Amino acid sequence: MTEIAQASPEPGAGAQPSGKTAGEPARVVPGQPDMWVLVLFESLLFTAYFAVYLFHRTADSEAFLRSQAQLSAWLGTLDTLLLLASSLFMLWCVQATRAGAFRSAMANAWITGLLGVAFLVSKVTEWIKLVRGGHSFTANEFFQYYFFLTGIHLLHLLIGFVVIGVIIYQLRSPARRSRDLVETYAVYWHTVDLLWVLIFSLLYVVR
Amino acid sequence: MNAEPRRRPLIAWLILSVITLAYLALDRYADNRDTYRASSVVTTIAILLALVKARTIFREFMQVRHAPSLLCRLTDLWVFLIGAALLGSYFAGLAVR
Amino acid sequence: MTGETAEPARSGSPLTRIAWHCRNNPKRELWFAWYTTVIFYNIFFIVFFPVTHAQPPPHPYWSDALVANWFGHNRGGLLIGFGIIFTIAGATAPQNALIAYSMRRMSVSRVFPYAYLVMYSLSAIPGLLLLCVVLSVGALRPGRDPAQLHWLYDFGFLSYTGTMGIFLIGSLVWMLAILLDKNRVMPKWFGYLNLCNALTEVVVAPAWIFHAGVFAWNGLISWWVDMVVFGIYTGAFLMQLRNLIRREDFGDGPLPGLVKKPEAMAATLAGTAP
Repeated sequence: MTEIAQASPEPGAGAQPSGKTAGEPARVVPGQPDMWVLVLFESLLFTAYFAVYLFHRTADSEAFLRSQAQLSAWLGTLDTLLLLASSLFMLWCVQATRAGAFRSAMANAWITGLLGVAFLVSKVTEWIKLVRGGHSFTANEFFQYYFFLTGIHLLHLLIGFVVIGVIIYQLRSPARRSRDLVETYAVYWHTVDLLWVLIFSLLYVVR
Repeated sequence: MNAEPRRRPLIAWLILSVITLAYLALDRYADNRDTYRASSVVTTIAILLALVKARTIFREFMQVRHAPSLLCRLTDLWVFLIGAALLGSYFAGLAVR
Repeated sequence: MTGETAEPARSGSPLTRIAWHCRNNPKRELWFAWYTTVIFYNIFFIVFFPVTHAQPPPHPYWSDALVANWFGHNRGGLLIGFGIIFTIAGATAPQNALIAYSMRRMSVSRVFPYAYLVMYSLSAIPGLLLLCVVLSVGALRPGRDPAQLHWLYDFGFLSYTGTMGIFLIGSLVWMLAILLDKNRVMPKWFGYLNLCNALTEVVVAPAWIFHAGVFAWNGLISWWVDMVVFGIYTGAFLMQLRNLIRREDFGDGPLPGLVKKPEAMAATLAGTAP
């Protein structure tokens, strides 16, 4: 299960979750199980951070609400849509890899990356705007949490860029192509999206 | 030569995007003449929507739908744990305030 | 070569068996390093937590008087506890060596273990010794000026908590080695756990800025949550190193899987030249 296929993947030869084809699709773990350890662990870790935030928020909700008013839910929504779209293209990349359509897979991987970059630009712009408006990391408790959560998420996004880079590098050469690796790293990218979905609701919408 | 349909991911993405846009409506509803107001209802709905999206991402984008049942149950458990932690810490905070 | 002792002693007291292993087990140096590490961590925990009360760290926002009070209250524990640490601090070396050994056994370049060794040898200074020295100095003379004590207090705790950069890079080095390795020395999930550990080192960084709250050096996020992750990580790497030693065949290729004890011992004795 953790074996890395060296040759290009053979469609339909064995356990492929095709879903719509005749007969019961074989059930396989998407990507390496090892990556799932990371995904589940990081989700719990972030949940711990979220729990601390929510607990402390209620202690001083007036101040938190005033600070939250500085954020734009529109911008947060745009960021979420960008990452959701990037996840869509990443999934198409995985599907294309499984089908052996490597050029299409690479194109999808590039688009995923570009959407991620758009998110990065949007986030950094928002940060700059907030800091210029006097709302920095040390301004008050809400912004401590805001910059911390968006910051640590951004770090995961940057790691995601490395991951996409590895996917593209692997897809380039027939000798290196590995369906297992693309699936594994795609799971990581979706985690970045999943974490943002939670962060968005907690920072921008929760009252 | 795609063996898998591209349609299903697209539909999943559309649903997720609609839920995301629903947040804007929730946000508008939560504001009360430009002044922000604390609200357990809004918080609970926001968290529940996020959990629905999280589970959809697990099942559709990460393809847990096709995974062995252990992983399906594990990710469902995770969604439950996250929800319990978020709602629990929020209401615990309200209780001790 | 090992003709005179054909089989490990299965009967006999634990002491005889330990003595037999010390004399004949080809992996004795590895086991020595592993047991040293485990014993060190246990002593470290006992000293830092109940004896000196240096962990969990006291509050950054205390006044001079409160800090002086803390030193006075913990004087005996600080001096005795850190005295023990100074005596056994060399035990960190076998640990670093064992981890570097795991990377040497991998199929990756030797740059990885050597870089790790250098980094972690140096990291013992801010990561362990500075705190011990500085707090011992503070505890040494009871009549010291509270303002001076407060200076020592800040220096000690900030140097301990705030210099996580070395551990961050070290974790990433080990992670990269594990992910690139073809000899299956460590499971990939442990490589990813190194990434989690590395990220918690980043989370600690705000301790330089905040005197109170969740990002202070004893804060809920910077210390408590981080400690849980560190505890899990430490448990995991001790288990992985133990598995490595059990699986070790002193070859160059992929490590075999775990085998039951008596067969493993027989195979090791048969196949290895001392």
